[in-house]
Amino acid sequence: MNKRQTRAFFLGSTGLFSLVFLALTIDSHRQFATLTHADQITPEVVAGKHVWHRKNCINCHTLLGEGAYYAPDLTKIAEQRGAPYLRSFLADPAKFYNEERDRRLMPNLKLSAREIDEVIAFLTWVGKIDNHGWPPRPIMVSGAAIPGSNVGGAVPQAASDDPVAIGQALFSQSPPGCFACHSTAAGVNLVGPSLAGIAATAAARIGATDYHGKATDAASYIHESILDPNADLVPGPTFSSNGQSMMPPGFGQSLQPAQVDALVAYLMTLK
Amino acid sequence: MRYRTQTVAYAYFVVALLLYGLQMVFGILSIAKYLGPDPIKAFLPFDVTKEIHTNLLIVWVLTGFMGAAYWLVPEETRSELHSPRLANWQLGLWTTAGVTAVVGYLFRWTEGNKLLEQPMPVKLGIVVVMLMFLYNIGMTIWKVKRFTTTLGVLLAGLTLTALLYLPALLTFDNYTVSIYYRWWTVHLWVEGVWEMVQGALLAYLLIRLSGADREVMEKWLYVIVGLTFIAGILGTAHHYFWIGVPSYWQAIGGVFSALEPLAFLGMAIYAYMAIRRSGLAHPNRLALHWTIGSAVFSALGAGILGLAHTWPSVNKWTHGTMITAMHGHMAFFGAYVMIVLAMITYAAPGLFGHDQEAGESPTGIWAFWLQMGGMFGMTMAFAAAGIGQTYLERIMGLGYLETQHKIQVHFLMVLGTGLLFSLGVGLFLYDFFFLAPRRRGSPAAWPAVATESQG
Repeated sequence: MNKRQTRAFFLGSTGLFSLVFLALTIDSHRQFATLTHADQITPEVVAGKHVWHRKNCINCHTLLGEGAYYAPDLTKIAEQRGAPYLRSFLADPAKFYNEERDRRLMPNLKLSAREIDEVIAFLTWVGKIDNHGWPPRPIMVSGAAIPGSNVGGAVPQAASDDPVAIGQALFSQSPPGCFACHSTAAGVNLVGPSLAGIAATAAARIGATDYHGKATDAASYIHESILDPNADLVPGPTFSSNGQSMMPPGFGQSLQPAQVDALVAYLMTLK
Repeated sequence: MRYRTQTVAYAYFVVALLLYGLQMVFGILSIAKYLGPDPIKAFLPFDVTKEIHTNLLIVWVLTGFMGAAYWLVPEETRSELHSPRLANWQLGLWTTAGVTAVVGYLFRWTEGNKLLEQPMPVKLGIVVVMLMFLYNIGMTIWKVKRFTTTLGVLLAGLTLTALLYLPALLTFDNYTVSIYYRWWTVHLWVEGVWEMVQGALLAYLLIRLSGADREVMEKWLYVIVGLTFIAGILGTAHHYFWIGVPSYWQAIGGVFSALEPLAFLGMAIYAYMAIRRSGLAHPNRLALHWTIGSAVFSALGAGILGLAHTWPSVNKWTHGTMITAMHGHMAFFGAYVMIVLAMITYAAPGLFGHDQEAGESPTGIWAFWLQMGGMFGMTMAFAAAGIGQTYLERIMGLGYLETQHKIQVHFLMVLGTGLLFSLGVGLFLYDFFFLAPRRRGSPAAWPAVATESQG
C-alpha cells in the first residue's frame, strides 16, 4: 500500500460513512414527531425546557440518562412523584431531604409557581418519549433501601391469577409504581404513608368524625384512595400540601378496574 | 526553533497551562462536594463548579491545539506565519471569551446545555476566533503553496472543529432533537476531528523525536484517520440509544462503537513501530514520555474503556452512571491533554532558546508520573464507583441517595488520587514557568522571547 492508496481509503471511507449518517439523520427526522409525541410539545413544555436550561439543571441531574451524576435521573420523575409532590418539593427541597443525613441537598432555586408548573410540564412530556424502555428498571430517588419496600430481583410477575398475587406483582411494577412512595413495613414512611396494616387503619378512618368520603368498609376506602387520593388526606409532613394529596391522580384512567380491584385485594392482606 | 514567528506559540501555551491549573481547582471542589455536606452550595453549587471544570478543559485544550498549530505550521511550510500580530489578537479575543464564560457561570449566566453552556454572545466570539485562526494558517500555506500530509490532516481537523461548532448555535423546541444535534458537536469533536488533530501532532512528534521516515509515517496517518471516521461517524449512535430515536441506531451504535478502539490502538502501534525502528535516542526525553504516553493512554482510556460501556445491552444499565466519568476522564487526558503537553514539552527548549537536552528535568519527569499515576487511580476509583452504582441502583433498585452513600469510599479515592494528579499538574506548571526558562543558557534569554511573542 502506498500513500496515494491510503489517502483514497481515508477520503473514500469518510465520504461514504458521512453519507450514510446524513441519510439516517433524514430518516430519523421523519420519525422524531411520532417517537417524541411532538404534538404534545405545548408552549408550556417549551417554557419548561427553557427553565431546565436557564437553571442549569443538567449539570447536577441526568435526563434521559444525560447530564451530570451528582443528582438522580429525572426521566420518569413526573410519573413517579406526580405534580403536587413536585410542586411542593421544588418550592422548598429542604422540606423533603436532610443534608446531614443525605450528604446532598438540592439548593432552593427560588422558582416562581409558574416556572415550577412549566418545568413539571416539560418533565411530564420527557417521561412519555418512546426511548426503547429506558431505564429498564425504575431509578429511585430514595427509599428503596428501607426494608419492606418491594424492590430487588427481577421485575415481578404474578405467580397465579389469584387477585392478591396479581395485586402484589402490580404493586412492584412501574407503572403504576406504588412502591416508589409506599413501603409495606410497619412504621416506615417514605414520601407516602406505610401501607402496613392498612386494612385496620382504613376501617378506623371510616369511623372517624373528620372522614367525609363515601367509603363504607376498608376495601372501598382503599379503592377510593387509589382513584381519588384527595377524598381523605392522612396527615403527614410529605403526604399532602395545601389540601391536595401528593399522590398522582389519574390511576382511574391508567389502571383497568380489575387491576384496581387486585391492588385492593393485595393491600387488604398487609398486616 | 527555526522560524521567528513560531514564538507566538509561547503565549498560547502560557494561557493553556494557566487554565489547566485552574481546571484542577474546580475538579477538586466538585469531587469534594460528592462527599458532602456542602457548606458553600449557596453561592458556589455543584452545577457551577462542574460546568467550569469541563469548560476550562475544552478551552485550554483548544488553546493548546492552536498554539501547537502555530508552532508546527512554519516548520511544515518552511516559512514564517502570515501574521503573528493577528495570532496575538486572536489569543486575546479567545482568552476574553473563555474568561467571560467562566466568570459568567459564577453569576449563573449559562445556556445550561451540557458542555455547550457558553451563552450566545460568547459562542459567536468563539466562531470569530476560529475564523481568524483558520485565515492566518490558510494564508501562510497559500503564500508558499507548500503542504505536507501532516499539516493537511491537522488543518482539516481544526477546520472541521470550527465547522462542527455550528450545530451548537442551533436551538430546537424538541429536546430529543436538541440532544441529537448537540452530539454532532461534542461527539464528532472528541471521537472524530480532534482525533485527526491528535494523529497529526503524534505524526509530527514521532517524525521529529524518532527520526522515522516521513513517507511511511504519513502513509499510516491516513489509515489511522480513516479508521477514526469509519468508526467515529456512525459511532455517534452510542449517544442516541435512549433519547427517543428510531431503534436501528442501537445496532449501528453497538457495531461501530466496537470499532472505535481500532484507531486508538492503531496510534499506539504506530508510536511503538516508529520507536522500534528508529530508537529512543532523542535527547528531549520528557517530550518522548508525553508522546508515547499519549499513544498508550488514549488506547486504554478512549479505546478500551469506551468499548466497556457502548454495547447497547450493557449501556442500558450503565448509562448515566459513574462509568461514564471513568471513561471520560482517562480518554480526555490520554488523547488530548497528553498530546498538548507533549507538544509543549517538545517546543519548550526551542521557545526558550535552548538545546533539546534542556527538555528533561527531574521535576518534569515527576510531573509526568504523578499525573499518570493520579489519573490511573482516579479512573480506577470512578470505575469502582460506577460498577457499585450500576449494581446497587440500576439492577438491585436501591435508591439513588442510598447508593451514593454506599459508594462514598470511592469518591474519597477520587479525591485522594485527584490531589495527587493536581500535584503533578502543579509541578508541570512550576517546571514550565520557573525551571525550564533557566535550565540552559542565560536566564536573560527568555524574557526576550516573551517580548517577541507580543509583537
